[in-house]
Amino acid sequence: HQLVTWIDRVSGSTGIGKEADKEYEAPIKAKRSKPEDAGGDELVYHPVKLSRSDLYRPPTAEELNQLKEAESLFHCSLLKMQMEELLKEVVLSERRKGQIDLFIHTVTKLLQTFSNSQEVEISDLSWLSGAVQVPFIMVPKTTKGKFHMAPPASVDLIGSYPLGTCTKPHVMVDLAVTIPADILHPKDALNQRYARKRALYLAGLAEHLISSSDIGTMHYSCLHGNRLRPVLLLRPPGKESSNFTVRVHACPPPGFFKPSRFHPQRNNIRTEWYTGLQTSQSESTEPPTPHYNSSILGDLLPRAHLQFLSAVSSQCPAFTDGVALLKVWLRQRELDQGTGCFNGFLASMLMAYLLTTHRISNTMTAYQLLRNSLNFLASTDLTVNGISLSKDSDSTPSLSEFHSAFQVVFVDPSGHLNMCADMTACTYKQLQHEASVSMQFWDNPTVDGFHSLLMTPKTMIRTSDHVFQLCELVKLQSSCKKLNLLSELMDYSGNYVHTALPYILSLLQQGLGQRIHLLTHSLPPDPEWSVESEAPKYKDQPPLSFGLLLRPELAVSVLERGPSADSPKAAEFRQLWGSRSELRRFQDGAITEAVLWDGEKICQKRLVPRQIITHLLLLHADIPESCVRYVGAIVDDVIKMERKVPSTGEEEGLLVVQSFDDLSRKLWKLEGLPLSITSVQGAHPALRYTQVFPPLPLKLDYSFFDRDKISRSLMPKEGKPCPAYITPITVICHMEGSGKWPHDPLAIRHIRARHKYACRPCSTHLDVWKDGLLFRIQVAYHREPQVLRESVSLGGLQVVRDNEEAQALEMATIHKPLLTSTLHGIQQQHTCFGAVCRLAKRWLGAQLFSSDITEDTADLLVASLFLQPAPFTPPGSPQVGFLRFLHLLSSFDWRNSPLIVNLNNQLSVADYTEIKNDFMASRESLPVMFIATPKDKKISVWTKRAPSVQMLQRVVMVAAESLKVLEHQLMDSSQIQDVRVVFRPPLDVYDVLIHLNHKQVPLLNQAVDPPAVTFSRGILTDKSGASSGGALPVVDYNPVSLYLTELREAFGDLALFFCDPYGGTVITVLWKPKAFTPMPFKASARSVEVTGEVVNTLPNVEAILEDFKIIGNGLVKSVEVRSERWSI
Amino acid sequence: MAPSKKKHANNKACVIPGGFTVLSLQFSASSAAQHKLYVKEHKVRAEKSSHRPLDRTLFVLNVPPYCAEHVVKRLFSQFGDVQSVELRDHPGSSKHLGPKLSRFFRPADKQGFKVGYIVFESPSSIAAAKSHPLSEPLVVSTEEHPVTTGVQKWIQQYTDSFVQPDHLQKIVDTFMEVHDKRKEEEAERQKREAELQQEDEEGWVKVTRGNKGTKARPHSEAANQKTLQKELRKKKRKELMNFYTWQHRNTQKEHIAELRKKFEEDKQRIALLRAQRKFRPY
Repeated sequence: HQLVTWIDRVSGSTGIGKEADKEYEAPIKAKRSKPEDAGGDELVYHPVKLSRSDLYRPPTAEELNQLKEAESLFHCSLLKMQMEELLKEVVLSERRKGQIDLFIHTVTKLLQTFSNSQEVEISDLSWLSGAVQVPFIMVPKTTKGKFHMAPPASVDLIGSYPLGTCTKPHVMVDLAVTIPADILHPKDALNQRYARKRALYLAGLAEHLISSSDIGTMHYSCLHGNRLRPVLLLRPPGKESSNFTVRVHACPPPGFFKPSRFHPQRNNIRTEWYTGLQTSQSESTEPPTPHYNSSILGDLLPRAHLQFLSAVSSQCPAFTDGVALLKVWLRQRELDQGTGCFNGFLASMLMAYLLTTHRISNTMTAYQLLRNSLNFLASTDLTVNGISLSKDSDSTPSLSEFHSAFQVVFVDPSGHLNMCADMTACTYKQLQHEASVSMQFWDNPTVDGFHSLLMTPKTMIRTSDHVFQLCELVKLQSSCKKLNLLSELMDYSGNYVHTALPYILSLLQQGLGQRIHLLTHSLPPDPEWSVESEAPKYKDQPPLSFGLLLRPELAVSVLERGPSADSPKAAEFRQLWGSRSELRRFQDGAITEAVLWDGEKICQKRLVPRQIITHLLLLHADIPESCVRYVGAIVDDVIKMERKVPSTGEEEGLLVVQSFDDLSRKLWKLEGLPLSITSVQGAHPALRYTQVFPPLPLKLDYSFFDRDKISRSLMPKEGKPCPAYITPITVICHMEGSGKWPHDPLAIRHIRARHKYACRPCSTHLDVWKDGLLFRIQVAYHREPQVLRESVSLGGLQVVRDNEEAQALEMATIHKPLLTSTLHGIQQQHTCFGAVCRLAKRWLGAQLFSSDITEDTADLLVASLFLQPAPFTPPGSPQVGFLRFLHLLSSFDWRNSPLIVNLNNQLSVADYTEIKNDFMASRESLPVMFIATPKDKKISVWTKRAPSVQMLQRVVMVAAESLKVLEHQLMDSSQIQDVRVVFRPPLDVYDVLIHLNHKQVPLLNQAVDPPAVTFSRGILTDKSGASSGGALPVVDYNPVSLYLTELREAFGDLALFFCDPYGGTVITVLWKPKAFTPMPFKASARSVEVTGEVVNTLPNVEAILEDFKIIGNGLVKSVEVRSERWSI
Repeated sequence: MAPSKKKHANNKACVIPGGFTVLSLQFSASSAAQHKLYVKEHKVRAEKSSHRPLDRTLFVLNVPPYCAEHVVKRLFSQFGDVQSVELRDHPGSSKHLGPKLSRFFRPADKQGFKVGYIVFESPSSIAAAKSHPLSEPLVVSTEEHPVTTGVQKWIQQYTDSFVQPDHLQKIVDTFMEVHDKRKEEEAERQKREAELQQEDEEGWVKVTRGNKGTKARPHSEAANQKTLQKELRKKKRKELMNFYTWQHRNTQKEHIAELRKKFEEDKQRIALLRAQRKFRPY
């Protein structure tokens, strides 16, 4: 069902037919899509031409300043302008502000008209009418104290809106409602009494407001996930409801509680009250409740904070813009929302800190503010060296006291409150990591800083190499018990998720150790529920996600080597790993504690972190494996090969390369050649580890084939299934230049043929059967393309003109080998490069795009992900690489920018500018997908032929849709996981489907969903060891590709043909709309119909359909006509 | 897609405007659909090729990919003896074929629909072909002469692609022999021409029109450009930069103009992006 709906969506929005239609026919559809189309045409970039007088007029002082600033502060004025534009997008408009002010006014008025109610016990809720619930989980139930409703003492705006740092989207306006002093009692700070009164007061407000028609919807939520601080969310009625939200906080009157009561080492929840058990503890031995304390303090201080920030903001004109930029930056990194987030308030406070400590000056621009803040974050570790905004340090707790109670310390101006109380060390480390990564690429002029910094969303699934989720959060309750966290649980008022989280994180950090760079976790989102329903339970939260940023070289190690057996640390090691730890003797003679994880092939080794995590969670936190949903390598399944030991092909790829190395060594050693060999280079994806299914060493069943006696080769037999496909692995062999080479293209070709010497020669190449693999050696002469280009003009002038033949030859003998060796180098640096390429190409193949985005193009695209990962780090697992590949495809602005792949780091900054300028100047004549490399700055050789505009558009759309579906599948634990959905192409956009006979499809078992039936294809599987020598097998014989070639040659002007090269059993055909417009009779017209006296031609569809069958006789099972488009 | 020629009597030839006669063609006797061939006598004013005598050559359009030359020959021999058949991707004069190549060195043929030039033994066959009725289709694959397609054909192709090394060697050797001989002749000819342009005893040089390649030094585009660049470089070296005050002023002016131009360009780029709503962060 999932598949069907997905297909519907894809085809609904992305039919290629429709795009093609736009140009040619179907007026109805065209009408719908016309506006955007026309818009697209207008938006073409034309280089500006300033008139001479404009360029050379004397500059004004102001203009000079502006130009100078642009030159010195920013890499170019572009970045400055981009930031200005971005700010315009996020800042609230005047109209919106007007709406907000009006709504605030009505709400304030409504809140003032309020009648007192009877004084009752706190636990007595009878005064509430029942239409609204109290937003609080009353555990434990009993509380002392009296409560009654009364009109608020005051209603004030607080937070970002009055400060001017409020930004789109999710406009949140904070409104503080002061609870009158007579409701509260100075001792209410104890045992959640204040928090409950506050919740009751909010419920009272909600009940009062619910009848009003001026208010749209009302919800409860809680501030940063803290259940002690519920808030009331009000939305305006009608159309404006999604424009903004007013968040009503209830606060005690200023100065009602003494701040010193909330010292992080003081206790304000009595164990006796909380557990209900009699204990003999005195107040001094009670455990401190720092988090509880800070949540009450937080209610006391918002007005003071606003005053402080306003004072700072009024002195620095760029303050609001700087904060807005920092907020955008945080939001793109998912750090600004949820429990323990680094929210906008903290962003303002951080900037205020930098301003008050004179780390940045008041005259700086927003750009500089952002840069300095990030620099500060990157270089300062608040988990060790906290900072404080407080001026006097006598009466307030010291930083070390804060550090002992909290993981991250940033003290507010009053000196009592740690504003980062809820933040985990991991979140701060993530923030720091992000800041330092940002600083790195900001300084790099070759990166589009603006885009990476502020425009690219970094979702966890696309950022972290491995992701896992804890699904049943209720299990964390038992973890708290196991970890012995009762007093912490009390401090967090029963929120076992937050209680256990820091401990679980430190446990994992300890266990994963050197294997990871960074451990991150999702911030639990603020729950939001309707005023009529009860507060949701903690276990109803969405699953907690954790992200791992791996160190690829260490993460796959199967051995965890601990301290030697007699060292004091051994006990600690044993305690951490439990029964998995055992004594082992190593080759260097040491006997140490060690843990050995399972893993034979790379694809299993990649999941060693998973073994560690599940083991540790079960051992120390009582979380069973079933609760851990590990999404590290789910997508890898599609490139798994059918072997006894499942493998994703890394080992097989290595085998091919080793065999090639051996072959090239032998070639070098050859003696008695007329010309010596100057280089032996691989020119095949298998030789750079990026072949989707690397060729396997095969052993042949000779009885399966016909035999050609003279050439000692095997031949396919008629009537039998098509033999297994043997991929020829291309090797280019350059011969030395010599005067003996003739200076004539034809002659060169013949001489080249003379140099083929053994095995199976053929006019263009030489096949070598070795280790069960087939290498195809081609001899190349480096001057041949040049000779092809030369010609003598009439005047006797020797001219050099480029032509297609020369280009093709150059591609095969120069560009391809070079690309292969360069990409081979990338694989050496990044171990999962090959796997990402293979996933990407598998996807392209499955979606029938292989002929448009060729293997080399795809490899280059993936290479760009590794060479220029900003704002990410290079992918550390195939899955995350694949997701980023889809994101690159779908989000890159192919129309207006070239994709520059800086292979071997050969391009300088000047080259970048040059490439961009050349690209801009001649955009229209360049390929739609433009990829520049150091050896190819102007032409984009790899994408010259394909894709076309329409195909690229479709690729982009399908990629976007696939990405959406895939990420959803991976992150939503409620989904049935079938990632293959994105590998099944929607077929209903095509006009004709040609179903193929499975028997004649040699690569059938590579299909996304391999069929149950298998055919014998002349391969012996029982014995190990591949055959070398003997009769030459059937090479490069694939009826499907032969058929496709014939179809394209015969009907290429009428239709497009698509097929999945990896075991696709269906060829899809799409008529070109242009083919069906009646055309005047020309000699070149093909299958034609003539109507009336005016001779027009139309394709003879009936005959063509029959030709499909005739040409593919034996291969074609049936031809299915899906649309009647041709019968116009 | 009803054929519109129904108005023609069944047993009569169908002629459409443009002078073409329509013949129908089907793959085998059991085929349901038919292709249409368009034939016409070959009439070209400019061409005087001995390959295609004007009175005996029939021009055929729309030959399906599975009709090889020998198949076409068989199909059309019902109208009279066929001397030769030439199939081409596009109509046009017969191309210059250079030296004759063995089948291993010829570029692979395209497998598309083709045009054909059929040369009959006698001119009368053309009339016979042109009067062939539409309702009697030509049949490509018959029991006596089956035409293989699909898997059978590909297996055949695969088998044919093999070549014996010594055979290949022989082909290459003969080609190279011819090539070397041609080269020698060429050299000989050039030498003779060069001799002609030498001064004779009385100091006269015979000046001829035409190819003066041998006399002038061998020149090429690349060489021309190289000399041009050398000149430019020489010029540049002699130039004085920022020597006079006016030069200095000019450089500054240029710098500002450059900045301005860049600024203007960036502004345009921004405007373009803004129009595409590229600044929405989320």
